[in-house]
Amino acid sequence: MIRSASCRLNRALGLGAALLALYLPPAAAIDLGENAQMHGFVSQGVVHTSDNRVGGGSDDGLAADMRELGLNLSWRPNSDWMLSAQALARWAGAADEGEPRLDYGFVDRSLFSSDSSHVGLRLGKVKNPLGFYNTTRDVAHTRPGATMPQSIYLDRVRNFYLAAPGASLYGLHTLDRWEANWSLNFVRPEADDVDLEYLLLLNNWSGHIQGRPSWLGQLMLDRDGGRWRFGLTVGNINMRYKPAGVLDPIQAGEHNLDTWVLSAQRNAEKWSLTAEYSQTDNKVGDYGFAFPVFAIRNSTNTVESWYVQGLWRPAQDWSVYLRRDEIYLNNKDKDGISYGLLFPGQGHATYGKSWTLGARRDLGAWSFWAEWARVDGGLWLSPQEMPNPKKEWDMLMLQAAWRF
Amino acid sequence: MVSADAVELIVHRGVELQSISLANARAMFGLRLARWPDGKLVRVFVLPDSHPLHGRMSKERLDLYPYQLRQTWDRLIYSGMAQAPIEVASEEEMLAKVAATPGAIGYVNKARKNDPVSILQVE
Repeated sequence: MIRSASCRLNRALGLGAALLALYLPPAAAIDLGENAQMHGFVSQGVVHTSDNRVGGGSDDGLAADMRELGLNLSWRPNSDWMLSAQALARWAGAADEGEPRLDYGFVDRSLFSSDSSHVGLRLGKVKNPLGFYNTTRDVAHTRPGATMPQSIYLDRVRNFYLAAPGASLYGLHTLDRWEANWSLNFVRPEADDVDLEYLLLLNNWSGHIQGRPSWLGQLMLDRDGGRWRFGLTVGNINMRYKPAGVLDPIQAGEHNLDTWVLSAQRNAEKWSLTAEYSQTDNKVGDYGFAFPVFAIRNSTNTVESWYVQGLWRPAQDWSVYLRRDEIYLNNKDKDGISYGLLFPGQGHATYGKSWTLGARRDLGAWSFWAEWARVDGGLWLSPQEMPNPKKEWDMLMLQAAWRF
Repeated sequence: MVSADAVELIVHRGVELQSISLANARAMFGLRLARWPDGKLVRVFVLPDSHPLHGRMSKERLDLYPYQLRQTWDRLIYSGMAQAPIEVASEEEMLAKVAATPGAIGYVNKARKNDPVSILQVE
């Protein structure tokens, strides 16, 4: 009852804020004077799927529970200091029901500057670098399509990877035709997330996953102003399952993720080609033998994933894109056969392979998408919403977004 | 590259540089470099994305496509890592704002000798 009432309240708030956004002046930004700025965005999607539910009841119907709403403030009193924060609410079916949260909030201090270099430090809740798109994955118009490539940017672990309390050391260096941007984040990941628990522990247990000290580093190299872009992200992320008490069937255990992402992009006037490849070693330990699944899972598996996307711009405000995207929870069991022995008929829940075809139209501060995906596998889907996903399914999504 | 009516980068008269490297000009208009060598805050002024002069400045002065600037801006603005450039409606407003704002950088079609701004060469 309470949950459904809070759901309704969230929906009403979201709709109210979306309507309010439409009445704000369509300025590029709201300048608050004294070097302060405010920006925001709102997006609304409508989804239809042939099977499997996404964003509420999309199966053979339309789901409109796909919405994002953000508002940020920044203040830069001088070139040494900046304060930034953003509030975000997101709706995505049962997995996300619009609870407002702090997306990021940090103080940025410049440490060193020369003619061709700049180094700084951010402290607070900082955005985690991961591939090209992670830092703004909830901002529709910065995504490479209506949806994120699920291979590298799996929505089921988005909360965990997105931002975390900690420190970020970053730098910029320019040299002739090259520009290097790097960052090194020391964080404690926000791991208390039901979707993450399903992915790591196959269920929503009564205990909680806690983040442990972790780091993520990224180096991005741009040649000729970004005609060519190359990136490497490396990270070591640690978590611990804390049982609810002596009656919890799961004992305390450790998760240790070693991840890396290679990114490459070619940008021309009329087209762009983007590819990213990632592997994540998931080391599980200390769980004991309380539950048979964990005897098997006290081991290492490697998540392997990649996508390639071609994008064509027939006109300045139009783009059309085609993406091939693949993710495997265990690269030694790509067809999910071993998993299927434990969970009969669910081997396909361990992978997701897709073709995505989409079009985008920009009209000033507005952007519109139409996107169709043919998917083989159920790894994309939140078990909260879809406990027994079908193997092959199609998804059609329409999305509109506005920003200021 | 430099034609008779080339787009010119202009800066506030307090900016002591006469020239800037192409890489640094890209980093400044890309909002990643927000500091002049003397420590002053860089304030970037731009015309709307759809303005022909904006497209010409991107290509002729920075050798970038305008969509690249827009993508970079949006990624930085909505992750709190930079402040947005300040958008002006016309070249006249650009000239007036750059002249009046310490640390400002912008562009015009052709600066005149008595304009109250300095010209910044890209090398």
